[in-house]
Amino acid sequence: MSRGFRQLLDAVVRIDVREVAFEAGTRRYSASIGSGVILSADGVVLTNAHVASPRAIELNITLANLERVTARLVGWDHWTDLAVLRIDMAEVKRRGFKLSPARFGDSQTLFPGEVVYAVGTPHGLTRTVTRGIVSNNNRYFEDTRGIGGFETGAFNTWLQTDAAINPGNSGGPLVTEDGRVVGISSRGYMGANNLGFAIPAATAKTVMERLVRDGVIVRSYVGLVPGALQDLENFYALAINTGVLVNSVDPGSPAAKGGLRGGDIILSIGGLKVDGRFPEQLPPIQNLIASHPVGTELNLSVKRGAEIRNFKVVTEMLESRVGEEWALEKWGLSVRKVSRAYARENQFDDTTGVVVIGVQPGFPGDVAGIARGDVILKINQEAISSLDVLRAAHTAYEAKAMPTLLETQRNRRVSLTILKP
Amino acid sequence: MTSWRRPALALSLFLPILLRGAVDLPTLWAERVKSTVAVEYVTETEIARQPTIAMGTVVDEKGTIILPSGAIDPRAATWQLKDFKVFLPGSAESTAAAYLGQDAFTGWHFVRADEKLWAQLKPVTAFVREGAARSLALADPVWGIGLRPKEEDFMPYFLQSSVALVQALPRRTGIAQQEVAAPGLPVFDRDGNLAGLAVAAFGQSYLQFNRSGRAAPVILMNVEESSAFLLAEDMLPFLGRIPKNISGRPLAWLGAYGLEPMDREVAKFLKLQSTSGAVISEVLEGSPAEKAGLKPRDIILAIDRQPLPRLKPERVVVAFIEREIERRSPGVALLITVLRGTEQIECQTILGEEPKLIREADRRHFDRLGLTGREFVYGDAIERRVKSAEPSGVVVHYVKPSSPVAVAGLRLDDWIREIDGMETKQFSSAVEQLAAIEKDASRSEFVLLVGRGGETAVLRVKLN
Repeated sequence: MSRGFRQLLDAVVRIDVREVAFEAGTRRYSASIGSGVILSADGVVLTNAHVASPRAIELNITLANLERVTARLVGWDHWTDLAVLRIDMAEVKRRGFKLSPARFGDSQTLFPGEVVYAVGTPHGLTRTVTRGIVSNNNRYFEDTRGIGGFETGAFNTWLQTDAAINPGNSGGPLVTEDGRVVGISSRGYMGANNLGFAIPAATAKTVMERLVRDGVIVRSYVGLVPGALQDLENFYALAINTGVLVNSVDPGSPAAKGGLRGGDIILSIGGLKVDGRFPEQLPPIQNLIASHPVGTELNLSVKRGAEIRNFKVVTEMLESRVGEEWALEKWGLSVRKVSRAYARENQFDDTTGVVVIGVQPGFPGDVAGIARGDVILKINQEAISSLDVLRAAHTAYEAKAMPTLLETQRNRRVSLTILKP
Repeated sequence: MTSWRRPALALSLFLPILLRGAVDLPTLWAERVKSTVAVEYVTETEIARQPTIAMGTVVDEKGTIILPSGAIDPRAATWQLKDFKVFLPGSAESTAAAYLGQDAFTGWHFVRADEKLWAQLKPVTAFVREGAARSLALADPVWGIGLRPKEEDFMPYFLQSSVALVQALPRRTGIAQQEVAAPGLPVFDRDGNLAGLAVAAFGQSYLQFNRSGRAAPVILMNVEESSAFLLAEDMLPFLGRIPKNISGRPLAWLGAYGLEPMDREVAKFLKLQSTSGAVISEVLEGSPAEKAGLKPRDIILAIDRQPLPRLKPERVVVAFIEREIERRSPGVALLITVLRGTEQIECQTILGEEPKLIREADRRHFDRLGLTGREFVYGDAIERRVKSAEPSGVVVHYVKPSSPVAVAGLRLDDWIREIDGMETKQFSSAVEQLAAIEKDASRSEFVLLVGRGGETAVLRVKLN
């Protein structure tokens, strides 16, 4: 083994996470194990968003010397399934440890067949190294609920490898023989053999730098769902390698407001020609839109039927469909704020309300007939514009339990119900 | 002296009742079986002819038969319903019949048997006792008729029970202790007077045990026999509601969508005490409700200043309001009192004509492509939350398995927005376009843009 590889082994960590979930009308705590890799001497650890999310309440890192230190979440980006942690450096210094960071390699030059190693903690088996090859260096897939219900995969392609990646490998590095980090192991196909996926270092490096700098990644959004043209060029009378097909336009989105619709072919975005012939070419196009500052007016050149038209679309900030969650424990209700994306998807007028994501049997919410999936719009005739409205009502109920009026909606049917003490 | 006379007095009081008890049930039964028939019809779809059998009651001298509302699938277009046939109980011979349509208010389907059968039928109205239809009392015996399956020649059989409960649902409904008649067939009192018409049975809760002794609750419904029946007083006045045409129109329409009952606790919270009510979820675009100024979240409290009755279960109030609309005709005024916020408001509405229903929508089948397209109607606009004035076009009504469109991923209820890049604004022009593609043997592919949920998808259909 190379010296670089031995050094890399010192940079791989095990991450023990305790996190809270607002399920079945209450707070539930659970523990899980993942992997990570130290990427700076001042304690930056890169891992998966599905390992360390804002739901984490305790993060412990096991170093190569088997000693445990604490860490905190710097930021996460479920879109690329990446999260950045910072090890408590005061503790590291006090206990006299020295961190040995790993270095990124170039994921762009990887070729199928190249030997790679996955290092991590599969099923809690600390410091496991598995070997395989790059099976595909440019795999495209999107998952709208992939990261604990959050969207992922729109802005990056993946490295596919046959190095064994099991639960617990998540967040660990995929490295070349010289110990350079070319990917962050993320997921495998359940029930398949040796189909593992990793986020390429090129994506990981950018996301990490921006999370370290800003704590968040802000992307622009216009609401276009692109589709690969494949061999529809003939049908649309397009020169080959030109344009991207609009498969769908999110209702109420900037693109919808701007007049775009499904079946349009986008030829250029902000003056830059786009080519979306194959699915693998879609993430860079999505990134092109996302990279503009929020509020940018984008000029889109669009082919519709025989004519070519220009559309102006003002970008807004990309948001997840998953809103903030909370448990109203006296009522036995877990709720999630209606997000802008959720509201549009379900054709609500606005983002008023919370979605019920769990009900505890026998509690007032259950007794009142509230079920998972219901949307609570008003409480005591006050519109639920934020979770705080509900929290305040819940606090008041905790102090003095009084009949409380809810306005709920289920499949567009509105009912009034009472939460009874 | 008085002591020995008492038994004699008692005897004279009981005697008439004993005499009445000696009713010749088999004779009454044989006579009344002539009011019952089995009706068979065929629902024709793109690939199949599905026969259905329902039980019906003869209501007049002209061979008019009523079938319960559930006898015909509400999604089926009237032209899909074919080959109506009437079977007399115990007979393998059938006589042709005509479908007359459904009455919106009662829900009954009307069928008329061919004239040659009329002499063998007996209208159930012949068994109405002179004078007002009396209400049945608790524990009164009631009996009715069931018909065996077709392979047993619809052999009639006797069912008997007693009245357990009479309830407004909102129609006055008698509930017997056991099954008393096949749904759609009449129920009689002990003297053979018409007591009512059996309706679909209620679900019965049972526990189902598996081998390991675990129990799971199940609801079972007897589809052949029912213990629930509509009382004669809530049936007889409506026997004449024979639809003027097969579509059952005119149909009164308010356009207040998604009525949900207001429960007792909510009424108390809103300081309405014992008032009954129903929340309006949505007010439909361009509807009479919208024109009258009704708003979503209004709580309906009264109709024509009559407070809504308190019914059990509470959701029955919704059926009550629907019936109040259905019993009226388009153009009739309806004064609706609602609670909006803390204010009671009266809205004068003029009922309108129900927009074209899905079952009335135009359809066209394309065998080579493998789909049936259906005209986009008002209900589609409501379901998809688009303005009904927006371009409409075609909704996919049927996809033939393994056909070109099925392989391309077209699904039932997809909304075809574009065909070969052309927007489908009208049903007629869209089906012409599809017909042209179907006819053109040289075509190897075409492209559809379809709407599904809030999204669209481009589908490429390969032909041959």
